[in-house]
Amino acid sequence: MIQEMAKDVVNAKERCMDAYEKAVTLQEKLNDAITLIDPSEQLETLPEGGLFHGVPIALKDNVNTKGILTTAGSRILSNYVPVYDAEIVTKLKKEGAVIIAKASMDELAMGGTNLTCFTGPSLNPWDTNRMTGGSSGGSAAMVASGVVPMAIGSDTGDSIRKPASFCGIVGVKPTYGRISRYGIIPYASSLDHVGYFTRSIEDACISLQALAGRDDRDMTSSFKEVPDYLGLLNSDMNGKKIAIFGNVQDALTNPETKEMFAKLMHALEERGAKVDVFYFSEELMKAMLPTYYLIANCEATSNHSNLDGIRFGVREKGDSMEEIMINSRTKGFGPLIRKRFVIGSYGLFEENQDKLFRKAQKVRRLIVNELNKCLGEYDCLIAPASNDIAPLLNDTSRDQLSDGYLIVENHMVIGNFSGYPSMTVPMGFEEGCPIGVNLTCKAFDEVTMFNIGKAIEEITGYKDLTAEVK
Amino acid sequence: MSEEKNKEYFKRLANQLMFDLNDEEAEDIVKEFETLEKQLKLLDEVNTEGVEPMVYPFEDETTFLRKDEVNHVISQEDALANVKDKIEGHFILPKVVK
Repeated sequence: MIQEMAKDVVNAKERCMDAYEKAVTLQEKLNDAITLIDPSEQLETLPEGGLFHGVPIALKDNVNTKGILTTAGSRILSNYVPVYDAEIVTKLKKEGAVIIAKASMDELAMGGTNLTCFTGPSLNPWDTNRMTGGSSGGSAAMVASGVVPMAIGSDTGDSIRKPASFCGIVGVKPTYGRISRYGIIPYASSLDHVGYFTRSIEDACISLQALAGRDDRDMTSSFKEVPDYLGLLNSDMNGKKIAIFGNVQDALTNPETKEMFAKLMHALEERGAKVDVFYFSEELMKAMLPTYYLIANCEATSNHSNLDGIRFGVREKGDSMEEIMINSRTKGFGPLIRKRFVIGSYGLFEENQDKLFRKAQKVRRLIVNELNKCLGEYDCLIAPASNDIAPLLNDTSRDQLSDGYLIVENHMVIGNFSGYPSMTVPMGFEEGCPIGVNLTCKAFDEVTMFNIGKAIEEITGYKDLTAEVK
Repeated sequence: MSEEKNKEYFKRLANQLMFDLNDEEAEDIVKEFETLEKQLKLLDEVNTEGVEPMVYPFEDETTFLRKDEVNHVISQEDALANVKDKIEGHFILPKVVK
């Protein structure tokens, strides 16, 4: 779709204005944007050609955009206007992309529901009584509802891949270092990735082509060459070795999801793939969520100590600098964020650092070692992205110590621990709502990930899925 | 570590982080902490003897000392563009010495 749009130069203006108008109309129903951007000015200065020439896109609101409000979904940044563009914004503009929205997100990207944005929850385009998932929920909703063919997200735990599952679209978290993070408001630096949503694998290939590449201003940016992802796209499964994530499969409790997943695995086998079940140590699987929780919150507490209302952000009144900071941070952060900072700070106490933070970093290495064992034998690790379709907005029923929660709902953090490429693609529908399947491949092997994703897309027929918002 | 993890404990901790928690929020953390401690026990059960902490996904060098040349400069006006109260290139705060 992106390729066809970029070739259709004549209709670029009309296309972008239509997308903007659709975004304005759907905002009332979905609340999926924080800022809508009239594209008229950008259309006057479009560069010639480019992979995204005249293609309307949306950015998660933690992507810095020069002169355009960038809030990261937090009240404390609700007046923040960056003076520079993130590297990916520069790249996308050079390719002719037209930004029509800054999308809703969980506050500071710390959440999996998109209920914590200071502008209220974004709603699922397939059923507005349900969550989009988060933290990149607004971006997912804008792609799923057909407003834009591509939207940028970020993924620290599963913040692209879970909303992609709940919204019936492709969600890509490429290898750590593949896309520059310069100018992205951080969450947890050792786990944060920039990624994106599309409605097809072809569009996912073109998007990575435009976004990937070395950036000296991101100290973790890779020097590796960027392959021609679209040119290398090939859905031939003969000889491909696929490992089913056995622990996740066994912990599934939803019979519909189990059956759907089993059918998909059978179809991949019929196409020539060798499909086996691979089990991780159960002890490590159960430690995955606490490991994530500690590392993410400890890093976030440190990263966000600069949000104090003094140099930028919303400043509250106070009789001293300390009072200004305390008042600004108390009113500026929602309760969930403050709770997470408290946990993060607890993990960083001198007496707790070895027992908690360092321990988590050691367990992280053991988990990644297990993944390396798996991907030493197989091309891809695969599992449903979730047990169920998107939860209802008022659903708080999850038992946080159950296998269902510890394993099925959190297994995708393995892609953040390792930095390996991981992607969710639509797998099927339950109660009229979509659910996705997740695949994780070797470092910098996005080509294989897209190829297997393409085979799944051909099997399911779920390409260019668009929700009709009621 | 042996200190009781009650509401007052978490309120004090929050104040060290330069924000307040109200009673309800502090109570929530007390409850959540019980779950967290159970989850952390799962972490404890993993034998990590001799394992090095994994700080970043990849350990290849991707950053080097650059030449000491000025680049990517922003103006003073830009640097202060998001400051609410400012005067002559400084941001204004209440007096520290009164």
